[in-house]
Amino acid sequence: MITVLRAPPFATVQDLGRSGHLHAAVPRAGALDPFALALANILVGNGPNSAAVEWGLTGGEVRFEQDATIAISGARARATLGGRPVPHCEAARAAAGEVLAIERIEAGAWVYLAVAGGINVPEVLGSRSTYLPARFGGMEGRLLRAGDHLPIGRPSTAALPGEPPTSIPSRREATAELADPRPADPIAVLPGPDLGLLLSAAWRWLVETEFRVSRAVSRMGYRLEAPSPAFPLPGDLPSAPACVGTIQLPPGGEPIVLMPDGPTVGGYPRIAVVASPDIGRLAQRSPGEVVRFQEIGLREARAGLQRRWNLLERVAESA
Amino acid sequence: MNGFPRIEPLGDSALLLILGEGTNPALAARTAGLAAHLRAAALSGVSDIVPAYGSLAVFFDRVTAEPERLTERLAQTAEAFEAQGPPLAHDRPIHVIPVRYDGPDLAEVAERTGLAPLDVVRRHTEPVYDVHFLGFVPGFAYLGPVDRALVLPRRPTPRRRVPAGSVAIAGAQTGVYPLETPGGWHLIGHTDVVLFDPERNPPNLLSAGDRVRFSPTDG
Repeated sequence: MITVLRAPPFATVQDLGRSGHLHAAVPRAGALDPFALALANILVGNGPNSAAVEWGLTGGEVRFEQDATIAISGARARATLGGRPVPHCEAARAAAGEVLAIERIEAGAWVYLAVAGGINVPEVLGSRSTYLPARFGGMEGRLLRAGDHLPIGRPSTAALPGEPPTSIPSRREATAELADPRPADPIAVLPGPDLGLLLSAAWRWLVETEFRVSRAVSRMGYRLEAPSPAFPLPGDLPSAPACVGTIQLPPGGEPIVLMPDGPTVGGYPRIAVVASPDIGRLAQRSPGEVVRFQEIGLREARAGLQRRWNLLERVAESA
Repeated sequence: MNGFPRIEPLGDSALLLILGEGTNPALAARTAGLAAHLRAAALSGVSDIVPAYGSLAVFFDRVTAEPERLTERLAQTAEAFEAQGPPLAHDRPIHVIPVRYDGPDLAEVAERTGLAPLDVVRRHTEPVYDVHFLGFVPGFAYLGPVDRALVLPRRPTPRRRVPAGSVAIAGAQTGVYPLETPGGWHLIGHTDVVLFDPERNPPNLLSAGDRVRFSPTDG
């Protein structure tokens, strides 16, 4: 069991989210940075989908009430375990009674704390992810707070299916590649289904503008600040399906990138969709930070996704 | 390029199947019917099928599905569905939802439509509505079409909190708020029926393509 001693303002239990209920308007939920969560899990010997703590904004403290193998990934945090520094993206052993203190987040937005065996809250609709708007999943459907006791599951040797191809580098290199959010690099996007409704200037605007993450960021969506586009924007469209990573362009001209708790259908023009491997990289940017977009092809996006899973398999091989 | 149906990508993990444009109820019914048909076909690698008005999204598993093959299978299945025609209305389940018509906006709706409050209730309870699709929040079903006399734009300023179970209208649509959420529709009544329960399987009471009738109660 893990006891929360001091909770940050925004921490929830998440896994990779739920599937199969989007048609009932139940969003996927799950980690904002799915590959960071999967990496932390694999480093402690879990399968990629085990539940972990998604930890945002500031520091905090938890105490392990039993011996546990843990790892932190995602945003770079200054953290100590029983007073010893905890390295980023490396498994560490916590003895019963030891306190993990996340002192502060130094780069990035969301830290993932995984523990061997996973956070063993009940599954709701096939996932342990917290979905705050409907108050279910995770810890009673809410943010973590001081005094919470998080049960730990039984550690297992869950393996990823398949062997990584030999083109994938060593375990250390694979971990380093997965752990690097490349904060200065552009975010890869695919043209969206409603791009045809906008003038051709719209795509140029999207890939040439330097956007900034606004303060309006949540697990539902990230609003980006930008100079007003110089092309006309259509008003509301008939509701149409959307997915995590969809970039909507509302009449005000500030794009909204849908995140895992975002709506399943929407009525704003879908100008682009962030490539899956880059959703977590975007989620790790904080208010005020710069975002640039770069077009990617579908084949390339899927190859990037495949590579990420292959890297995880490489890390899992010797975990 | 502009013909229907057409299939195009929605990012790298889903495909859109587009049947037409606009918001007419017949189009939504065809889309809901095709979504049910595709669900029944249980295409391998497909994790979810999400209908809206004139298009549906087919989500596939992260790396297992081959989009090219899936595109072909979707095109074939859509063609077979179109050839067979939409499901007959009486084959689709009908839900009767008891409603207490005491919503905070009932008087205003009556005034703005020039109807007596009882007439608003009568016109809202007469039709059998189609569930066009679900969206907004878990279990929220967009129902329509509502009686022309009741068509009003949504409220200029949404309420910060609409209680769960509120029965509401906006434009040609009606619906029931499954959870307490913000909302801009006109609240005309309330039901105790639970539209969404995550501990239930399936969690949603209503599905796209179902039919709904509201029945007035005093309780």
